Amino acid sequence: MRALSWCGGLALAAAVLAFPFMVNAYWLSVGVLAMFYAIATASWALLAGYAGQFSFGHMAFVSLGAYTSGLLVKWLGIPVPLGMAAGVVMCAVVGSGVGFVGLRMRGPYLALFTVAFSEVLRIVFVSEVEITGGSGGLEVAPLFHTRSDMPYYYLGVVLLAASLAAMLALVASRWGLFFRAIRENEDAAAAAGVPVMRFRVLAFAIASAFTGLGGGYFGHYIGILTPDIGSVDQMGLVVAMAVIGGAESIIAAAIGALGLEFLVEALRSYGQWRLVLFGALLLLTVRFARNGLLALAWQQVRRIGRALRTGQAAREAAE
Amino acid sequence: MADYLLIQALNGLTIGIIYAVIAAGLTVIFSILRIVNFAHGEFYMMGGYFGYFAISLFSIPPLLAILVAMLASFALSVLVERTLLTPLYSPATERKGDYGILVTFGISIFLRNIALIVFGPYPLRPPSFFSGALIAGPLIMTWDRVFAGGAGIAMLIALVWFMNNTPWGEALNAVSQSRESAAIVGIDDQRFYMLAFGLGGALAGGAGALVGPIYSLSPSMGLIPDTQAFAIVILGGMGSVGGSILAGLLIGISESMFVALFPDPSRSLTYAQAFSLVILMIVLLIRPTGLFGRAHASME
Repeated sequence: MRALSWCGGLALAAAVLAFPFMVNAYWLSVGVLAMFYAIATASWALLAGYAGQFSFGHMAFVSLGAYTSGLLVKWLGIPVPLGMAAGVVMCAVVGSGVGFVGLRMRGPYLALFTVAFSEVLRIVFVSEVEITGGSGGLEVAPLFHTRSDMPYYYLGVVLLAASLAAMLALVASRWGLFFRAIRENEDAAAAAGVPVMRFRVLAFAIASAFTGLGGGYFGHYIGILTPDIGSVDQMGLVVAMAVIGGAESIIAAAIGALGLEFLVEALRSYGQWRLVLFGALLLLTVRFARNGLLALAWQQVRRIGRALRTGQAAREAAE
Repeated sequence: MADYLLIQALNGLTIGIIYAVIAAGLTVIFSILRIVNFAHGEFYMMGGYFGYFAISLFSIPPLLAILVAMLASFALSVLVERTLLTPLYSPATERKGDYGILVTFGISIFLRNIALIVFGPYPLRPPSFFSGALIAGPLIMTWDRVFAGGAGIAMLIALVWFMNNTPWGEALNAVSQSRESAAIVGIDDQRFYMLAFGLGGALAGGAGALVGPIYSLSPSMGLIPDTQAFAIVILGGMGSVGGSILAGLLIGISESMFVALFPDPSRSLTYAQAFSLVILMIVLLIRPTGLFGRAHASME
């Protein structure tokens, strides 16, 4: 089983690295967007699936990171990577602020608060036309001056891999244990000595910082940044990606995002029906396979593997 | 200026009544099923379209179309509840609160997108209930608005009467106070979850049918009233119908005053949408249990 997952991982890594050489420019740009969605989805899974704090304002941090970086580069002329770093810091600070004021709220109240926060931010970005360009969009300096999306793609792979590695290290540590304890039962966690308040704020700050990184990457790739990226519909897409992949596992959520983003593009000819399909898929997954489709598939693989092994053992015994 | 403000206040009053109807539905669902229905605005939207198509496809008279819209919304809500919400009552479901958030959020995405395809992205406007306007001195108000306000009040009165004076209403009240005790006295709680969700959806749908001729219908029309309804429900106290009505009027009037008095008219319309959101955030921050919260109607 371990060998199987190693082989699967290696095959996946090889496919990801070789991808730009196998596809045309259109699918390469889809690959870039898929990396962005994977970072956003994985960080939402960290916050909602892992730490149990349902935020529907996660995409607001994508636009916050992207606008912060885009505007700083435009006004101060600082290098793009510095702008992206500033976006990450901005998101960590605002994220801990939202996490702090959200301490009084649980479950649906927090979800309501964050969705309201996200919409207010979007409305401000739409309304303050002199600064943000409003719905027409903000022109953002590109990160690479090349005609191909190749550098963006590989940067996305590096950012995604680094983010996933950092998040996985986090959830495997003591902090991850605290996050899960708070998710399962806040009062019990507090009684067991988990500093609940500090870790709730921390979860928000960390998840928001990763989202801000994804946002900066997205903004400097896309070139024209509009407030739509922070909309409730985008949030719905990311929630669907995370839940369909498996919101309680960061890797599963990221794979869900990659898979769904490619599916969105592959089904482009079906137009709006795709989103209905994803809505339906989201509902079915929540209803019948709450741990996500990947966990379900993995269970089947393991069951078949076990059946094969017991079959083999039985044959050996018979001989 | 004073006349303008007065007209704005009256407009705010009617829209506040509509908000109160939406919020009352949200309250019924919350107090019985113990979930916050994130898809409530989409039931409001569907109700508007049900009313529109009842008139345009089946040439049902507009007044009757409101009832048809409410019945159709009731049926849709019951269908949703039976297919998707039953895990909320099963002890085998882990973290029911999270399930409720995710599943209703998913329903809202699904309904909004399917509306976009089936009804199209362009705004539709059903015919007026009553054409013309009420003119009293300097005050002008379309009859549609007057009617929507009146019908909204009638719906709220009917709801309060239903909850207090019928056996079903009393059973709903009992389930909202304690599921276990209700089960002990022989109330089949499954039926009343169904009834509560259907009732909530029907109220939202009725509100949608009422505003059709005033504003136009569009697939995303549920987003803003949805947050307004949340603000109202929380301000009015989760589970308190009377509190919801008062808070609805308060928010409706203060919102139209905000639009009327905002210094920069080019931004007042976009920021008007943010107004109720900011109210919601402030309410959540300073008074998470609302003004008239009932102790037993808390989340699980």
